[in-house]
Amino acid sequence: MLIGSAATGPHEVSAGPGPYPPGGQEDRVVARIAELETRLGDPTDERGEVSYARLLEADERAELSEHGEQALDDLVLNADFVPHRLGGRLERIDTLVRVMRQVFRRDIALGLGYGVTSFMAAVNVWSSGTEEQRRRLAELLLDGRKVSVAYHELAHGNDFVRNEFQARPADGGYLLNGTKQVINNADRAAAWVLFSRTSPAPGSRSHSVVLADRAGLDQDRYRVLPRYDAVGVRGCHLSGLEFTDCPVPAAARVGEEGKGVELALRAFQITRSAIPGMALGATDTALRTVTGFALGRQLYRKSVMDIPHAKATLATTFLDLLICDSLSLAATRAVHVLPEETSVYAAAVKYLVPKMLTDAMYDLSIVLGARFYVREGEFGIFQKHVRDLPVLSLGHAGSAACQATIIPQLSRLARRSWFSDDPAPGSVFRPHEDLPDIPFERLSLASGRDGLSASLVAAVDELPSGSPEERAAHGAALRLMDELRQIQEQSLGLAPQDRTALASPATFALADRYAVLLAAASVIGVWQQAQGGSDTFLADPAWLAAALHRLGRRLGHSLPDLPASCENRLHDEVLARFHENRSYDLYNAPLAG
Amino acid sequence: MSVPTTGRTTPELTAWLSDRIALYLKRRPTEIDPAVPLAEYGFDSVAALSLCGDIEEDFDLILEPTVAWDYPNVRALAAHLAESLESEAAG
Repeated sequence: MLIGSAATGPHEVSAGPGPYPPGGQEDRVVARIAELETRLGDPTDERGEVSYARLLEADERAELSEHGEQALDDLVLNADFVPHRLGGRLERIDTLVRVMRQVFRRDIALGLGYGVTSFMAAVNVWSSGTEEQRRRLAELLLDGRKVSVAYHELAHGNDFVRNEFQARPADGGYLLNGTKQVINNADRAAAWVLFSRTSPAPGSRSHSVVLADRAGLDQDRYRVLPRYDAVGVRGCHLSGLEFTDCPVPAAARVGEEGKGVELALRAFQITRSAIPGMALGATDTALRTVTGFALGRQLYRKSVMDIPHAKATLATTFLDLLICDSLSLAATRAVHVLPEETSVYAAAVKYLVPKMLTDAMYDLSIVLGARFYVREGEFGIFQKHVRDLPVLSLGHAGSAACQATIIPQLSRLARRSWFSDDPAPGSVFRPHEDLPDIPFERLSLASGRDGLSASLVAAVDELPSGSPEERAAHGAALRLMDELRQIQEQSLGLAPQDRTALASPATFALADRYAVLLAAASVIGVWQQAQGGSDTFLADPAWLAAALHRLGRRLGHSLPDLPASCENRLHDEVLARFHENRSYDLYNAPLAG
Repeated sequence: MSVPTTGRTTPELTAWLSDRIALYLKRRPTEIDPAVPLAEYGFDSVAALSLCGDIEEDFDLILEPTVAWDYPNVRALAAHLAESLESEAAG
């Protein structure tokens, strides 16, 4: 069962002194998660209103779970998207990720459709809006209303600089004209954040962001377009909006006119670093589901768990979750601590984490076998998560768009940062430590600095090499450092045409390899900061060695086999957390059930 | 490596920019009209950020990453560059 005591107000500290007292942030997030788990209940218990069984039924009907939405309304989950300064609960990006993970582990569609869309919209306003816009938006959200974010025009994909939707200056305000497509909650949102062309000139100074408050619009000048039917997230209300000479006041514009692209790229740094980590909950569920299957099923007179391939797959999936969570942790905490460096980290998270989570689901499906194809029953949630998860790689930044964010920064980082920058501060890797508020104004489009890679370089001299696991970790880390050296050389040699959106596939591969290195640096950082702490698993070199080994192999490094103790340690942990209902991530958090 | 920043005239900077931008676009420098917005040649936002890094490297000058958005053609960019180099030298 669950730990008790739920906080009632945004800043009420839970009863009793926690192990992380200073500002109380950790106690608050732990209480909030417990509150969510209590309200949503054990997802495997079919009697529960928000159980997998009920969520699957809602999905079959292409609806969001009514009870799920009701529960989140009751919990005022929207408050988690509103900065505490404006009356909400949002203090940190990494803690928001942890809270949302509880929703995503049950239903990705609910996570996106209930809330994340509103968060994505709101970040534009928190970072660049006027005080009045912020207050108004906070009011809407705290009132339980939804806000949509409408960047997309199908014709232009992620090349949104080419977007055509217009906000034409007229009569002291703007006239909205055009169509936005595949917009989550377009039909039921109280306001829409619209990425709009305010000048016909080509280039990146011709767009602005408009916050259109539905209540103030002429209803005859816009219409909601029919819903899309999608393969996954079938419950999400994906539709479009069409405007015809619809007036909005000048006060609806967020940020300066013509600065829309820049504004969007800043907001993306927060959303890209945050959302993939939320979805980690879905792969946690998949791992939990398949672990249960492997323990219960007999094949070749053995349980599936005794089959080496199955056992290894479960251990490596857990490892992938730890790797993804480490990168996600470093990137989300970097928003607070290293905001100038966040653009590459956020792009790396949005590129690599959905990819690794999706690949892990595929590996797990092999263990699950034919049941992976069944839409109902005990394992039905697996196929739903498999269908829903790829949506994360679409949305507001496809994988290639994220690589394109990294590419122009490679040569600059190679010249100015790698092997010379100072390592990131340890707090970037400490999951439970308080952080200062999000410095929205310091988020930068490019900085030429990279403390995360510097942590990797510094660690090579610091990592111990006493035990076989430590030696394996150290050996893999050395190879990763060599890899950074190679990436540096290749980045310095990039021809101009390879530093554009039309760069060669090899350049895109360079961005991929760099993202893998950032993940490795994050893993090392998390392990180092866990030394001497209360989490003995995170402090154990077994997972460090296995994670670096896995990332190294991903890069094509030929590494000696790991000591068997590494997989055994991971395997034992997978089983222990399965039986104790604790999360497969950096937090080992108690779950309902 | 950085080069001496003194004695860089606007025509020289214009030539440097045209040469460099031509490389990004895989065109001849003479095809780049200094008055035409670079976006019209297909110079994308990724390339704009890269160009900023090139300027930094060749002139030892730190510019806002959005400089090629605010000065969208070669003429405007050259003038801005000349001005920045001058104030850098003076400061």
